Amino acid sequence: MDENNSEKEIQNREMSCLIKEKLNSFGTSISPEMFEEFINFSVEKLWVSYTQNWQEKESSIQDKMNALDISFPNGTTNKEYAQSFIIDDDEFERIEFEGLENVGLQFLKDEAANAFTIKGTPTIAGDFDIKMKCYYRGWIPGKNILERVFHIAVNPDPRSLWKNIPTSSEIEYYKPDSESFLLSVENEKNVVVASQRGRSHAHEGKARDDDFKIEYTDSKWYLTAVADGAGSAKYSRKGSQIACETVINHCKEALKDSTMFEEFIKFYNDDAENPTNRKYVGDNLWNIVGNAAFKAHRAIKDEATLKGAQLKDYATTLLLTICKKFEFGWFIASFWVGDGAICIYDKSSHRINLMGTPDGGEYAGQTRFLTMPEIFSDTASLYGRLKFAIVEDFTSLFLMSDGVSDPMFETDANLNKVEMWDKLWENLNHEIDFSNNNEQINEKLLSWLDFWSSGNHDDRTIAILY
Amino acid sequence: MRRLPVYILLDTSGSMYGEPIEAVKNGVQVLVSTLRTDPYALETAFLSIITFDSSAKQITPLTELSSFQQPNITANGCTALGEALALLANRVDAEVTKSTMEKKGDWKPLVFIMTDGEPTDDLNAGLAEFKKRKFGMVVACAAGQGANTETLKKITECVVQLDTADSATIKSFFKWVSASVSAGSMKVEDAGTEMTSMSELPPPPPEVNIVV
Repeated sequence: MDENNSEKEIQNREMSCLIKEKLNSFGTSISPEMFEEFINFSVEKLWVSYTQNWQEKESSIQDKMNALDISFPNGTTNKEYAQSFIIDDDEFERIEFEGLENVGLQFLKDEAANAFTIKGTPTIAGDFDIKMKCYYRGWIPGKNILERVFHIAVNPDPRSLWKNIPTSSEIEYYKPDSESFLLSVENEKNVVVASQRGRSHAHEGKARDDDFKIEYTDSKWYLTAVADGAGSAKYSRKGSQIACETVINHCKEALKDSTMFEEFIKFYNDDAENPTNRKYVGDNLWNIVGNAAFKAHRAIKDEATLKGAQLKDYATTLLLTICKKFEFGWFIASFWVGDGAICIYDKSSHRINLMGTPDGGEYAGQTRFLTMPEIFSDTASLYGRLKFAIVEDFTSLFLMSDGVSDPMFETDANLNKVEMWDKLWENLNHEIDFSNNNEQINEKLLSWLDFWSSGNHDDRTIAILY
Repeated sequence: MRRLPVYILLDTSGSMYGEPIEAVKNGVQVLVSTLRTDPYALETAFLSIITFDSSAKQITPLTELSSFQQPNITANGCTALGEALALLANRVDAEVTKSTMEKKGDWKPLVFIMTDGEPTDDLNAGLAEFKKRKFGMVVACAAGQGANTETLKKITECVVQLDTADSATIKSFFKWVSASVSAGSMKVEDAGTEMTSMSELPPPPPEVNIVV
């Protein structure tokens, strides 16, 4: 150290001598005091000019840096993140990033291609600031490292935000958070049904509003009902339950002796063009299915009165089918009020028969309910809710609440597309073996209902006659 | 998917320069980062920012919360609130989907308007366009004493007033907006219906006074 210092001192002294000699050569004789002043004056001036020079350069590079077209889209936890950019400017000799490790990201560079990538899998959600640092060409220790701050937001995985709180069994009208049932009929089609509380209800520990009931009568009729209680109505879970119970009980009673009705169905099958045949089936259906719906409406009204609540507190949709096999094929009749879907699907002939139109409004969420008096006041529109069909055979008859139909079909128009039903059937068969008379099929259907669909967290109920 | 569109109209006129505009920027940031931790909002709410000074601009088109990026907001010029309402009507036509046979529509948009002064343009022209569209809750906020709550009452019944336009007050307004969007998202997803009256909004903090 000492040796170095003394060496420098010698150099400095030699430098002073040189400058003095140079000044003397101009014929100027300079006093030592003046010489010192001269040196101070010159150095100060030069220093100012030097500093100004590199600071100007730095500020122009900083401007360039701020103008670089780099931005960072938001990430999501546990999802791979990658954002690349190219900096095609030799002036930015070395680029580094600070703070990436907090986000779980790293910085990769391909110097040859001037390509840079920020990548990794963020693990923590939040807002992060990361600092880009630039060593520009000609940078030497003592000069500024240029910086630019970027913001990266990491979203939490939406699934991780949903809680699953069991419904308290203490509440009024308690019902289990999920239910499923398999109705097997020997040597004939079976019915499987599953109903699952939606994520939004689970998140708040609220009860399932959907309900269902299925029955196979002694006279060999399949009766299936699915109801979706309105989320905004405080007792809709009871409304949907009463609706299903009442319609199934009524139909069961009404179809106890169905000989006459079946005769009319046979006439209709023989000559469907004959309006009288059609009318007989229609009139009978009115008494069976139409009345079932009206009885359900009344039963809910009675319950509301008993409770001192309003009818609309029990608002529910209703999907009902009655179905029987004849030697010529299957007779299927339905009643449908509200959203959701009823559809006969036949894979081999690649045909569907949508048993009505869902009631939807101009904006989402405006549907009709069984509990609305106007459903029954307008006979023509009530008739429109009744449908019947005869088909040779079918793969499956579906009844589902909008908790299933919304994510699966998205739009009402899609309900009319056979390809969409193909997709649903494929989707179901991927996880459930319908050919196997498996006792666990209802449990499988219940776990199938757990499928993830962003923004669709409604209760889900599906009944399949297959 | 049924989206819940949320339009935020912000006064960026010269009088907002300094502390108020910084508070607004901060407020937007807080709003978004809070909503991102709410599972209902994260999947349902879509956010757009319209600013108005000498003219109205949609600085953030209707964007999913998870990809929302903080816009650059600066303050200068006058207060074209009328133009902002007209622009809002126009953007709702373009961005909000109505239900048809082909497509299930969005929920009715929620609107939050914040201004600190009287409109300097023709309010009625924009107001007429605005009134032709269907909205969910529309909340207008008079930030400080410079804004006329009577004028805002022409736009919506739900008018609130901030005593001062300082950063703490503006911040609590934005927190309330965030809680309101959460409540709205939850209501549409949970109940399948929209908020229709002020009583369904979360109670405002003490700095935010309801104008009756």
